[in-house]
Amino acid sequence: MHPFDIKTVVFAKHAQHVVLIHFPIALFIIGVLFDFLGQWKKQRMLAAAAYYNFVVAAISTIPVVVTGILAWQWELEGQKVKGILLMHLVMGCLSSVLICVVWFIHMRTRRKQEEVMPGYRLPIEAVAVVIVALTGHLGGFLSGVNGPG
Amino acid sequence: MRRSVSIAGLGVALVLGMLCFGTSQKSHMASAQEKMSTMEVKIDNFSFGPVTLTVPVGTTVTWTNRDDIPHTVVSTDEPKTFKSKVLDTDEKFSFTFSKAGTYPYFCSIHPKMTGKVIVQ
Repeated sequence: MHPFDIKTVVFAKHAQHVVLIHFPIALFIIGVLFDFLGQWKKQRMLAAAAYYNFVVAAISTIPVVVTGILAWQWELEGQKVKGILLMHLVMGCLSSVLICVVWFIHMRTRRKQEEVMPGYRLPIEAVAVVIVALTGHLGGFLSGVNGPG
Repeated sequence: MRRSVSIAGLGVALVLGMLCFGTSQKSHMASAQEKMSTMEVKIDNFSFGPVTLTVPVGTTVTWTNRDDIPHTVVSTDEPKTFKSKVLDTDEKFSFTFSKAGTYPYFCSIHPKMTGKVIVQ
């Protein structure tokens, strides 16, 4: 294995997908927490903090999705996945879309310079947190965080 | 007359008995040979068991995934000597080793899971 080979850099024995995934998960969940708190306490600072969390979360989904798909294509040679792997793939894609949707709702409201954020965003954010958590749980199960070593 | 009939009967019984003995010996030998040429590796709790397996040339090794999550069995050499599809729980993968040598392998989903087949 060549040290500068892209497959070595991206995978080797330190699969980047597993490392990178923590960024959107943490940023998004904390962003939702800030947004709910901002809504409850009527604080603009919290709403702004939530927005910037969503921006970085949405951006960080890109390398996560790319490395996930590359892992599937290179490590498993794109073979048809089933069971937990398929569930993780579908829910991972859904999570990424929901994170981007939440960011888009916030971005559009800010661009229109509207005072009040749309109320429908909150149930979307809550559902997105559940999907993200389930995807992360499946990913942890797949990567063997509970396994030996 | 009666004596010759009983001698003939005894002879037939002896021949049949020998035939039966020969067949059972053959099937016993065949099953022993089968046992010799098939070995099993169990995948469980994120590890291959046994980690190192030593087998004679011509042995078929079967890996069975007894874990709750999917695993693969992939040789580390290039080009790959053997590479399984993703094995779900209770799925099997077999490979026959026709050349002597050492064949290290790993799970491509969990690269920390490694094993080795030594073919002598």
